[in-house]
Amino acid sequence: MKLLLIEDEKALATSIQNYFQRENFVCEWAADYETAIEKINIYRYDCVLVDIMLPDGDGLNAVRELKRKFPETGIIIISAKNSLDDRIAGLNLGSDDYLTKPFHLSELNARVQAVIRRRNFQGNQQIGFGKIIIDPQEHLVTVENQEVILTRKEYDLLIYMIANKNRVLTKESIAEHLWGDDADLMDNFDFIYTHIKNLRKKLMDKGSPDYLKSIYGVGYKFSEQ
Amino acid sequence: MMKLLAQILRYQIIASLSVLFLGAILFFVSVRYLIDDEVNKELINSQVKVSWQLKHIDTLPVYILQLGDSLQLDAVRFPARTLLRERLLYNQSENKYQPYRQLVFYERVEGQWYRVTISKLLAQRQQLMDAVVVTVTFIVALLLISLLMLNNWLSKRVWRPFYKTLSALDLYQLERHEVLEFPDEETEEFNQLNQSVMQLTKRLAATYQNLKEFTENASHEIQTPLAVILSKIEGLFQDETLTESQLVTLSEVSEAANRLSRLNQALLLLTKIENRQFLAGTEPVNFLPIINRKLRDLEDLIAQRQISIKTELEPTGPIMHPALAEVLVNNLLTNAIRHNLQNGNIFITLSDGKLAVRNTGNPVNGNPAQLFERFRKESTQSASLGLGLALAKTICEVNGQMLTYEIENDWHILTVTWQ
Repeated sequence: MKLLLIEDEKALATSIQNYFQRENFVCEWAADYETAIEKINIYRYDCVLVDIMLPDGDGLNAVRELKRKFPETGIIIISAKNSLDDRIAGLNLGSDDYLTKPFHLSELNARVQAVIRRRNFQGNQQIGFGKIIIDPQEHLVTVENQEVILTRKEYDLLIYMIANKNRVLTKESIAEHLWGDDADLMDNFDFIYTHIKNLRKKLMDKGSPDYLKSIYGVGYKFSEQ
Repeated sequence: MMKLLAQILRYQIIASLSVLFLGAILFFVSVRYLIDDEVNKELINSQVKVSWQLKHIDTLPVYILQLGDSLQLDAVRFPARTLLRERLLYNQSENKYQPYRQLVFYERVEGQWYRVTISKLLAQRQQLMDAVVVTVTFIVALLLISLLMLNNWLSKRVWRPFYKTLSALDLYQLERHEVLEFPDEETEEFNQLNQSVMQLTKRLAATYQNLKEFTENASHEIQTPLAVILSKIEGLFQDETLTESQLVTLSEVSEAANRLSRLNQALLLLTKIENRQFLAGTEPVNFLPIINRKLRDLEDLIAQRQISIKTELEPTGPIMHPALAEVLVNNLLTNAIRHNLQNGNIFITLSDGKLAVRNTGNPVNGNPAQLFERFRKESTQSASLGLGLALAKTICEVNGQMLTYEIENDWHILTVTWQ
């Protein structure tokens, strides 16, 4: 998978690149509009991450250009502007998603994977992890051909954890993914624990190994080892 | 407190009364002096005539004196000093005592001393004095009445622009970024006042705007370094060489940074609302689907605290920005859940012009209106930012809706009303 990151903040760009490299993605970086347009014209990307506030040009123009030339490329806008108008303008131009800074890299990762999945296989791609098979179209989760009945939150949690497999996921990033702005409603993170516990139990009941590891004081990790 | 005009009137009345009083005394004294002088002259005249007659003619002619005067001759043994005096004498024609001025002198006729007394009635003087008093009183009364009338008229007519400016200032709201404008007035002072007020409100609005823009820009600028911090922390978490205690410390850093980020976002939103960036794009919204969607999003939180929800909803809502409607409903509902009791209740009613969210909760000390203050929290342990209700309040204020907080027994009631 090949990604292009258009972002003027070097430190943030490096973090994002490192994160995706571990995912075995090729993540190229363009620090300005000029370079971005150049790269877009030469290479093909599966997904482009655009900061719409670039110093030398409106990132929305890059989105426009990309959309015109390579409509099949996935686009995710990242911006420090939470302005609604920008969000709507971006989505109207055909960007697939919109993420406001600051965000969790695990969240960005999950969104990139969702966009690529939808783009490449018209959403019919199954997600597999160990003994778990998920049909995202049908919201169907099976372990060894047995259906696992999950609540909406448990399903979201499973998708999120598989997208970020083999990584430490902090409680905050999980809470924010599941509840968004309501994440601060929870006075402690016990609540996540309840969901994790239920998910783990449901999966293991159907014969799945225990993929969910709790990392003391930090969060959780979904891995086969 | 007195009106300015009443105060001026008070001094005007005191000053004119004392001037009039002094003037009246002066007038009285001078008129009296003039009359007395005249009478004395006449008496002396009469004395000369009487003396001459006594010396040259045996009997005195009756017409020797002026009309109304009287002459009395008494034989005395010795003369005394000539003397001028005032006496109350009985007047037979008027049948009462009246003031007379008498000149008493002595004259020797054929070896015999006579005391001559000429008496002059002072009725004229009395009349004049009366006229003075009546006139002065009349003038005083006239002056008082005209002062009062003038005052009344002034306050109605001349001071009208002042009261207009005053009521405009009373209604002035900085948050609306208003600049007060006034029409030209006849009175220079009021024009100056209006100019000053206009300049002041202009400066206020500009300063307020600057401040708000600064806050917004500052929040924006904070986002990027925060994004860097959070991404670096997340990268570090993946480092498998970290010890457990390092991970725990990192987790605490992460928590604080996340909280800072949420706080900053909430402040940014608050500033944007206050900057009226959401006034464009308002449309009639329907609260009903927003409430239902929000309740679905929050269902696991509601279930966890075993809160039972009752709703009576009609499809209606005010005119506002749809994004703000979401934030408003969200904050009202999350507030009702957060401050609820285990096994508590929430009762939501939505009808024409009114959305009320009631929840059971702990009693609150103090004024419920204080709960709208920013960073107001019941406990410092809470993950809450303390901005939820402040945000809801600001949204309502900007959109011209009313948000009230009441506590009835165990129920906390937040009500939004609109036209």
